[in-house]
Amino acid sequence: MRLQLSDLVYLSPELTLVIAAVIISVLDLILPNKVNRTILGWLSIVSLMISTAFVIYYMRLLNLSEDPLAPVQLLNLSYRVDDFANLFKLIFLIGTIFILFMSIGSVKKEDIHHRGEYYYLFLPATLGAMIMASSGDLITLYVGLELLSITSYILVGIRKGNTKTNEAAFKYIVVGGIASAFILYGMSFLYGLSGSTNLTEINQALQVSDSSFELLIYVSFMLIVAGLGTKIAAAPFHTWAADVYQGAATPITAYLATVSKAAGFAMLFRLVYLVYYGVGGQDSSPVFIDLFMIILLVAAAAMIIGNVLALKQRKVKRLLAYSGVANAGYLLVPIGIGLHSQFPHSSNFSELYFYLIAYLFMNIGAFAVLMAIERTTGDGELKGFAGLYYRAPYTAFAVVILLLSLAGLPVTGGFIGKVFILLGALQVKAYWLAIVMILTSVISFYYYFSIIRQMFMRTNFEAGSNKLNLSVPIAITIWISTVVTIILGFFPNYVLSYINDIFTIGTDFFIR
Amino acid sequence: MISSYLTLAAVLFVIGLYGALSKKNAVIVLLCIELMLNAVNLNLIAFAKYGINPSLKGQIFSLFNITIAAAEAAVGIAILIALYRNKATANVTEMNSLKK
Repeated sequence: MRLQLSDLVYLSPELTLVIAAVIISVLDLILPNKVNRTILGWLSIVSLMISTAFVIYYMRLLNLSEDPLAPVQLLNLSYRVDDFANLFKLIFLIGTIFILFMSIGSVKKEDIHHRGEYYYLFLPATLGAMIMASSGDLITLYVGLELLSITSYILVGIRKGNTKTNEAAFKYIVVGGIASAFILYGMSFLYGLSGSTNLTEINQALQVSDSSFELLIYVSFMLIVAGLGTKIAAAPFHTWAADVYQGAATPITAYLATVSKAAGFAMLFRLVYLVYYGVGGQDSSPVFIDLFMIILLVAAAAMIIGNVLALKQRKVKRLLAYSGVANAGYLLVPIGIGLHSQFPHSSNFSELYFYLIAYLFMNIGAFAVLMAIERTTGDGELKGFAGLYYRAPYTAFAVVILLLSLAGLPVTGGFIGKVFILLGALQVKAYWLAIVMILTSVISFYYYFSIIRQMFMRTNFEAGSNKLNLSVPIAITIWISTVVTIILGFFPNYVLSYINDIFTIGTDFFIR
Repeated sequence: MISSYLTLAAVLFVIGLYGALSKKNAVIVLLCIELMLNAVNLNLIAFAKYGINPSLKGQIFSLFNITIAAAEAAVGIAILIALYRNKATANVTEMNSLKK
């Protein structure tokens, strides 16, 4: 069980990021001041790409048609390289690459004084997300979570001279710190009930534990859901999201809304299906059914509250923040409906993963558009979109696609993803949830279409703001996001069958 | 034996949460978060000694927590200093410039 030197190769995606972060931070110190720091941004992107290549290599090794590699467990079972982890790592890495790419050329010196720091701080944050996705132990889970969180606190506050940014960063660290304390308190009860920090051992201990400990299981679960609910910004733990999104620089906001949120889902999925699954034994109504119900309630609350609060927002970032709350609700549905023995339903992961891909691309695209609008008008008001169709017709077309996907209209990735989640909820006969989902989606049309209305119906935009200030990386990001969104809408089966081929919850999660 | 430790930890956790949510001074808010994290450490160490399956892992976990809490406090204070330089206040009720 000791770490051998030969085991280190399985950690190569993570080690790449560690080494790159060290090298780039030293480079930032020794490079003379007149050297443009954009080169550090490119170096960060290259290191993320190398890490992606390693992840894809191990995904192939784990899924060879003959003699595939068994999921690797390292460091006394506390770190695992399995398909679940690899798939999530791909999302984190690709999302971070796009976010870094679109911020190249848009980071202004008067805004962010330490531009080098801005670029390479994404590396430890993504590393933390990757550790969260592939840990098999409470300690590694927590360390990964905090690595991601603490780095994002710094990233949110990186525009040191801006009062709003300072305020957002302080709010984020206070709420995030409280959420961490909640998660940790829940974890301490898990440790107390089992005497172990290994997720599989905890699950075994909980399955046979005395029924007098049921209350503690509930307490630990609710504490963890409250903490992680804050990290993924699901209602009723969402109040920080709008303020922090508004105060942070736009690429950082995109990072919080996509990669950081996806990492929270990876951790929640791992905890729910590895630690709490099957808890409560063979009773007619075992404990874990109640626990899944709690997740569904949070999901319904997030859908309703997120979509209703988004209706009255005048700032695009706050609107996207509440839309993110609502999307967290949709994404919680596949986790919460569980694997029921009486209903044939086992595609929870592919539903979650497919919608996460769609969510990643449509959100990165939307934030890239918002960056272009902010470069043009200087603020992120909704009316910055006014007459966009007449100023930049092609961009307006891309925005329409992205918004249709966010609203869940055909033929886009967001639509297909939502339909899959809806069908999953119907398969396990969670009709009330399906109704909430459909109704709240209809509500969401209103605020997404208010942006489209601004673009097409309003012609009284101010003179001088005629040309949209679009940098090349931003334009490329917008178009890649749009194309991926359309491809996901037209050819979802390839992606889905691929996910179903390589991920089976039995081999990935329940190996002992 | 263990229940008294757990009760103390729970009381500390709740005091920390109350302080973090209600205090006006930003430094005290950060201190209260530390109090919550330390309540968890107490919980872990009580379980490590008197739990169902006593083991060293709880103590190791709490060592990790102490380290991470130190890092978090450092970043929190740094952000607060940046805020104080721009706004000259450490009063959380005056941090209301967002939303508008």
